[in-house]
Amino acid sequence: MTVQPIVAEHLTKTFGQDRGINDVSLVVEPGQVFGFLGPNGAGKSTTIRCLLGLYRPSRGQARVLGQDPAAGQAGFLADVGYLPGELRLPDRLTGADVLGTFRRMRRGQHTAYEDDLVERLGAELTRPVASLSKGNKQKLGLVLAFMHRPRLLVLDEPTSGLDPLLQDEFASLLRETTADGRTVLLSSHDLDEVQRVVQRVAIIRSGRIVIDDTVASLRASAPRTIELTFDHDVDARSLASVPGVTLHVTTARHVTLTHTGGAAAVLTAIAPLQPDTITARPADLEELFLRLYGGTTHAD
Amino acid sequence: MPTDLIRLDLRLRRRMLIGTAVGAAAYLFLVVAVYPTFKHDTAFDDMIAANPAAAAAFGITGSITSPEGWLSANMYANFGPLLALMLTIGYGSAAIAGQDGDGLLGLLATLPVPRARIVAGKALSLLVAALVVPAVSYAVCLAGPQFELTPRWGPLLGVSVALTLLAFDLGAIALLVGALSGSRGAAMGAASAIAACAYLISSLSPVAEAVHRVRWLSPFLWAVGDGQLTRGVTVGELGALAVLGVTLVAGTVLAFRRLDIQ
Repeated sequence: MTVQPIVAEHLTKTFGQDRGINDVSLVVEPGQVFGFLGPNGAGKSTTIRCLLGLYRPSRGQARVLGQDPAAGQAGFLADVGYLPGELRLPDRLTGADVLGTFRRMRRGQHTAYEDDLVERLGAELTRPVASLSKGNKQKLGLVLAFMHRPRLLVLDEPTSGLDPLLQDEFASLLRETTADGRTVLLSSHDLDEVQRVVQRVAIIRSGRIVIDDTVASLRASAPRTIELTFDHDVDARSLASVPGVTLHVTTARHVTLTHTGGAAAVLTAIAPLQPDTITARPADLEELFLRLYGGTTHAD
Repeated sequence: MPTDLIRLDLRLRRRMLIGTAVGAAAYLFLVVAVYPTFKHDTAFDDMIAANPAAAAAFGITGSITSPEGWLSANMYANFGPLLALMLTIGYGSAAIAGQDGDGLLGLLATLPVPRARIVAGKALSLLVAALVVPAVSYAVCLAGPQFELTPRWGPLLGVSVALTLLAFDLGAIALLVGALSGSRGAAMGAASAIAACAYLISSLSPVAEAVHRVRWLSPFLWAVGDGQLTRGVTVGELGALAVLGVTLVAGTVLAFRRLDIQ
């Protein structure tokens, strides 16, 4: 029987009246990139720390690679790669020293895969960590997380500080990882990244999971945006009466709207207005998150 | 043996360890080198006999012009422990609470290393830090005969071991408080306060009756405060220092298992 890499049941961690997580339950299937999203202070890092055994939950339980992380047994961590949200590495060590130190503490051997990761990510190995930029430290953190080919990767804001080219390389790494049957829990504030690479997503807000669904299903229910321009003045207010339509920008010759559900009713309502151009954007999770967070564009 | 954890921690504090070792060696060499100037100066002994309370505050008891008295008054009863404790309390408060605050402990605690083993690594690093000042001091004292200073080598070795254990114990208090609270400030503050009280109890016990009654509470007294350079350290004193250290490390293991790590 295949062990689910992560199962959390009613995980609760309280620090005070208004902080922590409450009743968090989620299941991450093998071979999946699972996106974990939420605004600042929502409880993403707290959940991750409970899953890795760094925090002892106040209530509830979790099983990570079949083991209870709160039991104090560190065995399961041999198969986990972790990149913290705020990565801190020993300042005085060079990149090579950092990799060597953590490799030895994992009782691992230097591998060609490690060299490949260093090359692909362009990790700087000869300079002390203290002299590295945030992006270069992040590259080292990614090598540390991936280099022992763990069955489960827990990555908290992994592309923070990386340039766009490296973000593409990172997406390739994720695809290779899941193609290998391994699993990734990815916490990110970058919705574009999440839409590109994850199969399932959970959104946490104020310590509670508010959405846990596949990206395909979310996309199907997410609002779609249509932009219309006209070579004549129009009164587009009639479009607002179509079920599922919300008007955002309306001038005499420019209309932007979002709609949920099928497109037929909207197009039927638009046709009599005789638009000059119609631009329809694919369903975007950002619209969904905008609704959830009431105007917050990033679910950091 | 968590050798890589030990190596990492010692490497992170390498400059502090080397700097303190060099400083202690230079200071003690000066103390040893000037001994012939004071060796026959009985005015020093008269002054101490006339001001026992003031002398006690600096940990000075007995003759200051004997080799043991000279080393005790200038190094082993005060500056030696001060330097050794600076290293161990500094490391003890940084090793768990400090690294937690810095964010490094989270990475270490997500390695496949049980928390008890992490504490074992920290405790062994602490022992190395505790050994620096006593070992360097003993080595410098070996030059003593060149300067007419020939202490009793057996008791000096015993005091070196006792000073190592004393420094370890007070560093272990910082380690324990750090594991209980996750606060570097609390760890350093508590250990420093306990060290200061223990020093005062030990040094003032010969002249203050109220303090004298509780002098057995002070690990300073077990290590360097009761004429050990002259009479030697007893097995009971070394045992008490060792048991205290082991107890503190065991407490740290229990506390660290319950610590929420950032």
